Amino acid sequence: MEMKFVPSICSYCGTGCGVLFEVLDGELVGTLPMKTHPVNHGKLCIKGWNLHEHINSPLRLKNPLLKTFGRFTKVDWDKAMDVTADRLKAVIAAHGPDSVGVLVSAKMTNEENYLAQKFARAAIGTNNVDHCARL
Amino acid sequence: MSAMTPIQEQVHQWLEEERVDIFLAYRIVEGHPLPYAFTREHIEETGELVTGPARYSLEKFATHIASRYPDARIGMVARDCNQRALNVLRVWNQLKEGQVETVSVNCCPSDLRAHADCSYLERRPVGVVKQQLGQVPNQAVADVDAQPSAERFDRWMYEFQKCIKCYGCRNICPVCFCNECSLEHAELIGTGHLPPDIPIFHLVRAVHMAGRCIDCGLCEDACPAEIPLRLLYRKVNAIVKDLFEYETGSGDTLPPFSILGPKPTMSPTPLLAVAQE
Ligand code: SF4
Ligand code: SF4
Ligand code: SF4
Ligand code: SF4
Repeated sequence: MEMKFVPSICSYCGTGCGVLFEVLDGELVGTLPMKTHPVNHGKLCIKGWNLHEHINSPLRLKNPLLKTFGRFTKVDWDKAMDVTADRLKAVIAAHGPDSVGVLVSAKMTNEENYLAQKFARAAIGTNNVDHCARL
Repeated sequence: MSAMTPIQEQVHQWLEEERVDIFLAYRIVEGHPLPYAFTREHIEETGELVTGPARYSLEKFATHIASRYPDARIGMVARDCNQRALNVLRVWNQLKEGQVETVSVNCCPSDLRAHADCSYLERRPVGVVKQQLGQVPNQAVADVDAQPSAERFDRWMYEFQKCIKCYGCRNICPVCFCNECSLEHAELIGTGHLPPDIPIFHLVRAVHMAGRCIDCGLCEDACPAEIPLRLLYRKVNAIVKDLFEYETGSGDTLPPFSILGPKPTMSPTPLLAVAQE
């Protein structure tokens, strides 16, 4: 029996409300507003209250999928990386870096989003980056 | 390590003697007073236990532990509101008799004590217009009842239309634990628009809180629209008290409107039925 309360920041929009994740035996079971957080003073919108939902969703993708001849097949991460890198290089060589866009997600951490925009700007060489929480 | 406070010592002892398996209190984490579960495995952490100043529904966490570990013995620090909530949760079979042991902490404001550990007492002041109208936190039901009914109706409809349907009032509430909540029932309350159907959204919840709400004010603390929810539920509890002489948060019986319980009954007056037996 292990219960933890992990402070974090809501990633669903730019407001940045303070949240508290309720974790029971390593499983994320709930989200609460952090009462002393200076941004939200113990309040959340409906998105923040449901931050934990997608984590345990049965619909969540847990493996990379590769689409070949119109069908998705499970592949390992090395294979997925190789194919993605090859295709990106080919597209950039043929049409330039601005032919690529990077869409990131509120369902990742802020740090992962930071890395994704860094990848777009520094590795690919484009400013075409967008995020669903750019409200 | 500096000397332990009496409460820290007591929790240390309870864990050491295996009187409880887990103890819910608070600890300063990254500068914030956050709920924290103390255990025998990390008993040295009890030296960092604090009792405030923030206020969370520790008893709600206890019910989550109990639903996974029905025999868990849970300890927690408890203010008056936590104690009342524990009573309701026992009456509704969400916690077993004797399953939760409490260490009482002071929350009552007093000149003799520098800090009152209740977030409700530290709420930011309401705006100028509300102040002029006397619509302050902790407003007495009797003061509102004294106003003309048209004025009261206008005020409540104004308050309700601010609702952003975050369900925070329900989510944070220590005594809201239904698996299927009426507030999300499409046939009872229309979905997909804001504000939600008013006043029905708020009145459905108010009816459920009659004889159940233990007046902790956590819902009002959590409401982004600053709707005076505590006042609304005080009113329904006052009605239950007047009509059925039912005191919420103490005693051993289910409230008169316990149609949501494990044994549904449509009889509106079970107390009277009991009296006739
Ligand atoms: S999505 Fe809602 S809870 Fe999350 S940061 Fe924005 S306003 Fe706050
Ligand atoms: S005051 Fe609000 S949060 Fe507290 S028990 Fe009543 S309805 Fe629930
Ligand atoms: S008491 Fe009413 S508002 Fe609360 S969870 Fe149950 S159905 Fe929902
Ligand atoms: S907390 Fe306030 S805004 Fe959110 S659903 Fe309840 S009444 Fe509406």
